[in-house]
Amino acid sequence: MKSQRKTWNDPVLVAAVMPLALVMLVFFLIPLAMTVVLTFQTTQYYRLNWTWDLKIWTEIFSKPHYWTIMLRTVGMALICVAISVVIAYPAAYALTTRLKTYNTQIQILIIFAFLTDAVLKTFGWILVLDRNGVANWLLSYLGFGPEALDILFTPTGTMIGMVYNLAVYPMFTIYLSLARLDRDLILASYDAGASRIRTFFEVTLPLSKPGLYSGAVLVFVLSLGAFLEPKVLGGGTSPLASELIRQSFETRVNWPLGAALTIVLIAIGALTLALAAGFVFRRTPSRRGEPA
Amino acid sequence: MQKLPNDINRRSMLKGMGGIGLAAAGAGLFGLPRGASAAESLNYMCWEGYNAPSILDPFQKDKDVSIAVDLITDSAGGFAKLAAGASRDFDLVSSDSPWIQRMGPAGFCRFLDDAEFADQYAEFYPQFQAPFEPLQFDGKATGLPTRWGWVGPTVNTKFDKLETWSSYAPVFDSAYKDKICLLDWGDWPIMPLALYAGVNPYEELDDAALGEVRKVLRAAFKNTRAIVGDLAIAQKGLLDGSFRALIGGGTYCTSSLRLKGHDYIQSIVPEPKDGLKQGIIWMEATGLIDNGKNSQVAADFLKYIVSPEVAKHLAITEATCNLVPNAKAEALFSEEEKKALQMDYMWTAWDNSQFHTVAPNIDDMLAIWQEELAAR
Repeated sequence: MKSQRKTWNDPVLVAAVMPLALVMLVFFLIPLAMTVVLTFQTTQYYRLNWTWDLKIWTEIFSKPHYWTIMLRTVGMALICVAISVVIAYPAAYALTTRLKTYNTQIQILIIFAFLTDAVLKTFGWILVLDRNGVANWLLSYLGFGPEALDILFTPTGTMIGMVYNLAVYPMFTIYLSLARLDRDLILASYDAGASRIRTFFEVTLPLSKPGLYSGAVLVFVLSLGAFLEPKVLGGGTSPLASELIRQSFETRVNWPLGAALTIVLIAIGALTLALAAGFVFRRTPSRRGEPA
Repeated sequence: MQKLPNDINRRSMLKGMGGIGLAAAGAGLFGLPRGASAAESLNYMCWEGYNAPSILDPFQKDKDVSIAVDLITDSAGGFAKLAAGASRDFDLVSSDSPWIQRMGPAGFCRFLDDAEFADQYAEFYPQFQAPFEPLQFDGKATGLPTRWGWVGPTVNTKFDKLETWSSYAPVFDSAYKDKICLLDWGDWPIMPLALYAGVNPYEELDDAALGEVRKVLRAAFKNTRAIVGDLAIAQKGLLDGSFRALIGGGTYCTSSLRLKGHDYIQSIVPEPKDGLKQGIIWMEATGLIDNGKNSQVAADFLKYIVSPEVAKHLAITEATCNLVPNAKAEALFSEEEKKALQMDYMWTAWDNSQFHTVAPNIDDMLAIWQEELAAR
């Protein structure tokens, strides 16, 4: 069936798009524009002065420590994406294949993971990772000696918390992709003589890429804003961007600086995603007859 | 589908639930809480503890007033909120004294006539009586003092002798590597470390002095295991010995532990170094916001919150225990509470401390803190 190409002259299309466009305008674009405007103001005596000035941007581009923290944040986010996906994919794969019998129960568990408060989960890790915590007790019991593990209040502690809180997102998106996968294609691959491994890499993995990518994007974006984990499990000694922004807004009461750092973080995040998308789409061969 | 008993079907069930929902929404909108029936209402911006029902409820009942509370987590943030226009909406504010003191000249708080509060001042310890300099501007007071304490190393005496902490030197001692906890409470950890470096942070600082602050923070970060904002985590580490001292807190993070029986936890004030007092006295104050209403009931609340019985409630709260300026309240504390508050030590701490006031270069010092932390 030939589909009819829709244009913006179509009033039905415009009416259908309008509510979402309005929501985006009111709740995203206008606040974003206000944040940009705020970056060109100054503060004096903890009050905002509505005077157009490049002072804040000059400060941001002249002080390397802002960029150190921004790059550290992006680095941590990328590592978190990699670890989360590596954990989530086999788990989601097992859920759709080996553990199909327990499908409902496991789905409920995943929903619980979404619903449980991140504050609770993050603070819970202290009891595990502490020098006197459960992990060290277990390691000591196994003969590794006292306080064998010392990762609370380190970047490793931060990473454990981030992965623990965020890995559930790609697990869910990959699971959805795998669950919708047409089993006949896999069987056809076996019929054609492909091994299990080859079938996985040539059929299953390519067809589950939408879930993989959307999960990775979710983890990346949420990691950029990670606040709780570096503060609670990281011990605040290797602050990430969100803590820098909080300090600027709250402790220093320098709203223009906080706004500018927010814009920098959004820009770096968007740029990283654009680069990743470019890399992914360049590597993905176009289907025959369709433009790449 | 399994049928529900007694002719209850899904439709009637949903109808019933919808009805209950509407009734609940109606009660919320038109209803019923004390706020709607009270003769007057007050909006109160304050730290945690000031909002305890044992403090607010008797006043609300007695004066037929409803008090809506907005908790602050950062004094500077609270000031900024008022500066952004919220001062029109609030009647009362309880915050750190330098910020209350700033609110008078900034136009957010009404200046008080000390004579109107003469009865309250008469009950205070001599150190807090009118004219109370830390809350004065051009001879006029902004607010009354409500809670106080001191900032010094908080130590678990099961692991360290108190004498060890008669100076901040262990913060920089390699023997204490990864055993120091700095409290992530704005400028609080910076001030004592600056004092140790021989810099008085409450004076105007030149580049050389700021350079000293940078050096001392850099050195402290080398030994610091964690910079903790959450009081419970800091206290847990102190109790189990993974933190040997908390820096930047003092009595604020000590007294509640002591009241729970951990009397081996103590906050002390180090000895003066090179003529510079190393302790810091912090104080919270309550002011009347200048929102044009000139509310008498707000002024009544100010008198109420510093009265001996209420001051006692304010001193002993669930999260923290602190000293109060009302001398008459002292008689209301039990011996156990006095011990928890380290009342036998309070004037020694006072005599060996700076008073926490407006620090002219605080933003420079906070920027240095950020830079040194990023470079760590």
